[in-house]
Amino acid sequence: MRKALGIQENWAQSVNRKSALRKVFSIHRGWAQQIVFLGPCLIFFLTIVITPFILGFYYSSTNWNGLDLDKAVWTGSANWSRILHDDNFWSSLNFTLRFTVVSVVIANILALLLAFVLMASLKTKKVLRTVFFMPNVIGGILLGYIWQFIFTKGFATIGDSTNIPFFNLPWLGTPNTGFWGLVIVFVWQTAGYMMVIYIASLAGIPKDLIEAAKIDGARPYQLFKSVYVPLIMPAITICLFLTTSNAFKMFDLNLSLTKGGPGTSTQSLAYNIYSEALINNRYGLGTAKALLFFAAVSIITVTQVIITKRKEVSA
Amino acid sequence: MKKRFAFLIAIVCVLIIAGCGNGGNNSNSGTSGTASPASDTPKKDVTIKVFQFKVEIAEQINALAEEYEKETGVKVQVETHGGGEDYGALLKAEIASGSEPEIFNNGGFAALVPYMDRATDLSDQPWVSSLIETSKIPTTVDGKLYGLPMNVEGYGLIYNKDLFTKAGITEEPKTLPQLKEAVEKLKAAGITPFEATNEWWSLGIHLVNVAMANQPDPAAYIEDLKAGKQTIKGNEVFKQWLDLVDVIFNNAQDNKVTTDYATQVADFASGKAAMMLQGNWTQGDIDKIDPALKLGLLPLPINDKEGQIYVGVPNNWIVNSKSAHPEEAKAFLNWMVTSETGKKYLTKEFKFIPALSNISTTAEDIGQIAVAVQDQSKTALSWNWDRFPDGVTQGFGAAMQEYLGGQINRDQLLDKLDKAVQDIVKQ
Repeated sequence: MRKALGIQENWAQSVNRKSALRKVFSIHRGWAQQIVFLGPCLIFFLTIVITPFILGFYYSSTNWNGLDLDKAVWTGSANWSRILHDDNFWSSLNFTLRFTVVSVVIANILALLLAFVLMASLKTKKVLRTVFFMPNVIGGILLGYIWQFIFTKGFATIGDSTNIPFFNLPWLGTPNTGFWGLVIVFVWQTAGYMMVIYIASLAGIPKDLIEAAKIDGARPYQLFKSVYVPLIMPAITICLFLTTSNAFKMFDLNLSLTKGGPGTSTQSLAYNIYSEALINNRYGLGTAKALLFFAAVSIITVTQVIITKRKEVSA
Repeated sequence: MKKRFAFLIAIVCVLIIAGCGNGGNNSNSGTSGTASPASDTPKKDVTIKVFQFKVEIAEQINALAEEYEKETGVKVQVETHGGGEDYGALLKAEIASGSEPEIFNNGGFAALVPYMDRATDLSDQPWVSSLIETSKIPTTVDGKLYGLPMNVEGYGLIYNKDLFTKAGITEEPKTLPQLKEAVEKLKAAGITPFEATNEWWSLGIHLVNVAMANQPDPAAYIEDLKAGKQTIKGNEVFKQWLDLVDVIFNNAQDNKVTTDYATQVADFASGKAAMMLQGNWTQGDIDKIDPALKLGLLPLPINDKEGQIYVGVPNNWIVNSKSAHPEEAKAFLNWMVTSETGKKYLTKEFKFIPALSNISTTAEDIGQIAVAVQDQSKTALSWNWDRFPDGVTQGFGAAMQEYLGGQINRDQLLDKLDKAVQDIVKQ
């Protein structure tokens, strides 16, 4: 009897253990899969993004010159108080803010317009969508050099032969033309991508809603304001977020198109940080600026997302 | 099936990571293996990496590297980053990434300071005795020589002799009033007097140096500027120098604010303007457009005294002691300035004005402008921009661009030049 009981106990235990094992194994398998699929990505993300970011907090309080870390001296808050008195930093922040506002507005309006036009049943719809999206595929540096050529050589040649004042402006040679040159190229590059997002969103609007609104006598403006916009609000959130953060972080166009010139009049914040760290040999100060930059981008984009998210409705 | 697939991927990942690790180990063992002094037998596995600045010689130096490999078996891998690129930033990024090139370029003076850990003492090299004395100055620290001067270069006002004849200018203008007179004659003949450029380095380095070099003691003046004991505003030489700047800027082509270096040289070479402020390094690019162009070199005067051209060592070869093969790098540099092949490349292919007195040159080899530089080098003034730490000349360039575009006036320009120094120097 005792023996039998013992066997039973054993049996029960072994069943328990088996199921426990299976449980552990299945959890384990989930983990294994996640490690296999996410692991490589996580390793790179940790080593390339997270680690430098954390190290950045340390660098930002040193006078590291970018070459010999062993010679870097802890300087406390010296870099931060220096930034407060750095005219170039504040003027490039000013430039970046102006640039962001102007280019975000223009890029999104243009993208929405293009989306509406290309929703209509045009024969060349597919070709046009591809054409407008294409600039986004080309890298910023390359685009910058191509457009530099267009602005300084192409525009000048057109201006010589047609005498249209617009083309005769000293493109990229003055602060104003430099600013608008950057806006033009940035808008040209991003509008196509935003257009695709808007098209996807517009295509998702149920036809009956629009028909109902039309039957109720809604005029095109009312239709746009009260039906289309609320329904594509999620797309607007995404597009505003993407354009705002991209415009704020603009660097490659700046480097290849104007190099911040003439003078420092078109120096974006990202370019200012680059030149502080790599041209002026002040990595510590550059890192401090970059952290400030990170905070600014986060605050601006998060606020924007919160505001536009609130306006989202479901059909 | 799923499991097997996951397993497969895991293995691939492990292999990739292991592969990376192995690569690192190999390069490490390579380092220790070649620390021994160079032997006579060619070592086939040695590669010297050269990180160089002069885009003008990019193709030719690759050919030279091949010649060297043929003769010695040592591979020389050249990377050229200059012209529109920011060489200093790229070199820093290269070193920060863990790659230590055996040989890199450096202007000397203040620019050498951040690299003193890496610069190798070259005082014992066989070529030191034949160097031109002044060319040693930029890389000499505490009596030791840390660099091989790449070459000697000079700049002034390059002019098109045919256009001068056409305008009826018979005598070379050497003072500022004479230059103004020549400008008037050119304008009367319908010729654009100057081809200017908006390049920051031409403005912030070469043009600003004219005022620095004309100081009674440039080195002392610059030290005082950096220490805050002197200012640019209120300096008599700078005041005179602005007259020269105005003569050039006010009589330049219409689209001067959008003209880059390539356009400047191309326009000048095709006869669109009579003069440009540039140096002998433009010869190759001019020859590509019009090799028959008759060229001369005028001094840059700032007042009614005779002006001078500005001659210096643009760059030095520095051997990196933290690299894998510093001894091989020394051997390559020695070969470049002592072997027949190397000498031939320096003068005939690179079209350099050599910094070594034992290398002879001819006008056909190095070009008309270089010959003119050599002719006037006895009275020439010095190059001083490398006495400033990194970032100052960029600040000068930015200020000059604004003055070129007419956005600021003379006083504001001088203020901004002062600020460019203080922005970098003050801690």
